[in-house]
Amino acid sequence: MVAVTDWEGPETPASTPSDAAAQPEPATTTDGPQPASYYHLTRAVLYREYLIFVRYPANAIGGIVVSLFFFALLFYGGRMVAGQALTDSIEGIIVGYFLWTLSVGAYSSISNDIASEVQWGTLERHITTPFGFAPVALLKGVAKVVRTFLTSAVVLGVMLVVTGTRLQLEPITVVTVAGLAITSVLGLGFAAGGITVLYKQIGNWLNLLQFGFIVLISAPVFDAPWTRFLPLAHGSAMLQRTMVDGVRLWEFGLGELGLLLAVAVGYLLGGYVVFHYATRRARRLGVLGDY
Amino acid sequence: MNASAPTDSMAGLDSSSQDDGDSTRSDAKRVPALVVEGMSKQFGTDTDGVMAVDDVSVTVDRGSVVGLLGPNGAGKTTLIKCILGIVVPDAGTVEVFGTDIGDGRRAVYANVDAMLEGARNDYWRLTVRENLRYFATISGVDPDSVSTRHDRLLDRLGLTDKAETPVRDLSRGMKQKVSLASVLAGGAELVFLDEPTLGLDVESSRTLRQELRRLAGEDGLTVVLSSHDMSVIEDVCDRVVVMADGQVVADDTVAALVARTDRDIVRITSPSIDDGVLASLREAFDVLGVARDADGTRLEVVAGGDELYDLMAHLRDAGVTLEHVRTVEPDLEDVFVELTDDAGGLGEPAEDGWSP
Repeated sequence: MVAVTDWEGPETPASTPSDAAAQPEPATTTDGPQPASYYHLTRAVLYREYLIFVRYPANAIGGIVVSLFFFALLFYGGRMVAGQALTDSIEGIIVGYFLWTLSVGAYSSISNDIASEVQWGTLERHITTPFGFAPVALLKGVAKVVRTFLTSAVVLGVMLVVTGTRLQLEPITVVTVAGLAITSVLGLGFAAGGITVLYKQIGNWLNLLQFGFIVLISAPVFDAPWTRFLPLAHGSAMLQRTMVDGVRLWEFGLGELGLLLAVAVGYLLGGYVVFHYATRRARRLGVLGDY
Repeated sequence: MNASAPTDSMAGLDSSSQDDGDSTRSDAKRVPALVVEGMSKQFGTDTDGVMAVDDVSVTVDRGSVVGLLGPNGAGKTTLIKCILGIVVPDAGTVEVFGTDIGDGRRAVYANVDAMLEGARNDYWRLTVRENLRYFATISGVDPDSVSTRHDRLLDRLGLTDKAETPVRDLSRGMKQKVSLASVLAGGAELVFLDEPTLGLDVESSRTLRQELRRLAGEDGLTVVLSSHDMSVIEDVCDRVVVMADGQVVADDTVAALVARTDRDIVRITSPSIDDGVLASLREAFDVLGVARDADGTRLEVVAGGDELYDLMAHLRDAGVTLEHVRTVEPDLEDVFVELTDDAGGLGEPAEDGWSP
């Protein structure tokens, strides 16, 4: 027992963090260590992400600059090649590009984050926590999505100004549809992160998946309805209707919204299961944290 | 820290002992901090696999500091990782403060933390204090409720002035201290420190050892410390578990281990030991090492009790002039070499100029 004076003694009834989660009622005294609840965990994980975001803005700014550079190539290069045809479809291209930057941000941030945590030896510390890694990973995912929305919003704003385009930007609908669309990609990020833990040399190759997102975003959901079950595809079609045609969230059919939610949750859970089994196998092979 | 384990252990006591607070506490104290039974782990396939940990059983009492000593590849780190669940063992059970971690009860981890070899263990882009708060939360403690403890920890480790500095801006020794602080931030009662002084300069290593001694002595922390540095083990540990080839080859106090070695070594320096004398010595005694330089010949000979008289008589009869005679007390390193049969395994070169 750690016997500093402000530390509770062995005779003090104490609860475990999992108890605390089940019974969030705070303990009666405030001068000793209190069990952390999921509220504290949420605060800690999100605050860490926030601190790194504001303290090291170079990463975010770099991402924005690269995104804008590629868009400029696409826009000005495309205008030279395709002329009026590109100008006519510019709204669709901007929406697609916006969703692509969101997808790349969510995917690479979570898969790279897992790789970094393995390298730093901090992933192990999350595995030996009384909370388990799952809630930490999901909270990290939420933080990455929020962060990606902030940077992609800047990219979207610049694209609209540069091209002189107007889009329907109803915030609740855009955030909900785009958020659920990239949740499926977050699942892919978890899977890729897990596979990288197991086979470290594959990590860089998995980054190439980002270019596959372009195919998913432009999937022909009307001609080939089955593609709606792929990540991003259905969400991309809905986002086009939202931002180009001005369709509001409540104007979509329940079936469409249900499918959007199901694809998001399905791929997120699937990705987490892959991550879980990959890290479990890494623990069996003794390669977790084998930096 | 959560006192879940003591509570669990108290729950198992009969009602009469629960009536008596003192005896309850002492009973709870008797539950070992760690019991490992029959732990085994093989990497690779059955035919060309490596048995990294081979049927290891270890018990660590509360408040003790146990050293895990062994040459590189002896299985120290794998054993620690198996105990923590970072590596899934093939066989064996682990009880932490009386609770079997195999039950999937993650709450047990609230009392355990580890500083692993070669890892940062914390976030370099966060400040020292931010790390302490983050890892306290991760280990199940509301960081606001232990801020006083964090202040004290920072003070003890000489990090108060650096509390608001990002870890990446600190020296290596400081970073190692932050790593230790972040491990202790959640109030874990059982901590594993894997090569905590590796790569530190002499001064930083000494400070860290002092702090470990103090934390163990004053705060009753239970520490399992792996190292291949004898001085760290001798300085800090109450008990040493020596591992070789994945197995425990000795488990005792440093004093008992040293005492049980029966080698009494005499070191002789003389200008007049020629090859003939050396050959006769080798025939009659166990000559461990020979070194020749401008001052003459230095010998290390195993000679305890009557053998010492015989050795002196032998040298006198051979007309050897003795310049210097000294008995060499065996130390932990001698014991270690004897136990593991691996003089080169420590990464330390043999004394210059000596050959067997």
